Amino acid sequence: MTTVSRGSSVEHDTQAAVAGGGSSGGGATTATAVHPTGAERPLWLDVLGVAAIASVLVALYGAIIWAPTEAVMGHVQRIFYFHMPSAWVALGPAFTIVFICSIVYLVKKDLRYDRIAGASAELGVLFTTITLLTGPLWAKPIWGAYWTWDPRLTTTLVLWFIYVAYLMLRSSITEGHRRARLSAVFGIVGWIDVPIVFMSIRWWRTIHPTLVTGEGMNLDSSMQAVLVFALGAISLLYVYLLVVRVRQLDMGSRIDRLRQQSHLR
Amino acid sequence: MNELGFLFAGYAVVWVALGGYMLAVGRRQSTLRREIARLEQEFRTGE
Repeated sequence: MTTVSRGSSVEHDTQAAVAGGGSSGGGATTATAVHPTGAERPLWLDVLGVAAIASVLVALYGAIIWAPTEAVMGHVQRIFYFHMPSAWVALGPAFTIVFICSIVYLVKKDLRYDRIAGASAELGVLFTTITLLTGPLWAKPIWGAYWTWDPRLTTTLVLWFIYVAYLMLRSSITEGHRRARLSAVFGIVGWIDVPIVFMSIRWWRTIHPTLVTGEGMNLDSSMQAVLVFALGAISLLYVYLLVVRVRQLDMGSRIDRLRQQSHLR
Repeated sequence: MNELGFLFAGYAVVWVALGGYMLAVGRRQSTLRREIARLEQEFRTGE
């Protein structure tokens, strides 16, 4: 027998539904509410989303209007205010969270960490794509070429291929512990390229600009302020999108279990 | 293309990529809600 009551949250109730008898494959099943409005997001997530988008718009204003024009490169240098933060989010939090959650999954065998790793890899690929597309648009008027096989550019492209392959691996296997285990191993091994990308401009001869040196940032103070703000804004956007995607993946997983349960009835 | 053209193209890439991703996330959310509504209906009729 299945009992339905209205008004509770989907996430909570689908869990209850699954816990209520799905594993038994028979006997009494208690499936509490699955109300569409339960899928609505909490207020704090909306506030986070508005804050993230507003701060990205303020960063855009800072980059296009407020920041002074660079004396040598001119206006095209303004691409840098979104290029560098995108690279930072991808190389810093995004792929590092894939690495950490992959390790935690292998230790705890909790699929939630696998879902966090998957969502973070997706965002890492998004921000690496932005980095790889905006870089050449800056390079063409400055270097005279869209692309050179410079160590920083090449290692970043390799990184992009690694995580695209990671996402392809995930999409080719049905959700479960087998996929999580393979993805975790890939996520850990693939992360090795992250420090290589970071150190490439120090280890090899490169034409890529080096912004941060041992003596600090090579930037005018107002440019530095815009850059730091843009870093914060893009990081906030990453956090917001990560939370949204993880919640979606959690919900999708629970729906799959509920669907299986409904077939068992 | 002059430098303003490259600047415009650079920011167009950023907004198209971010906007496209957010649109895809929004569509996924709608699909999940529809699926939840369908399952709710299924459970109701099986009551």
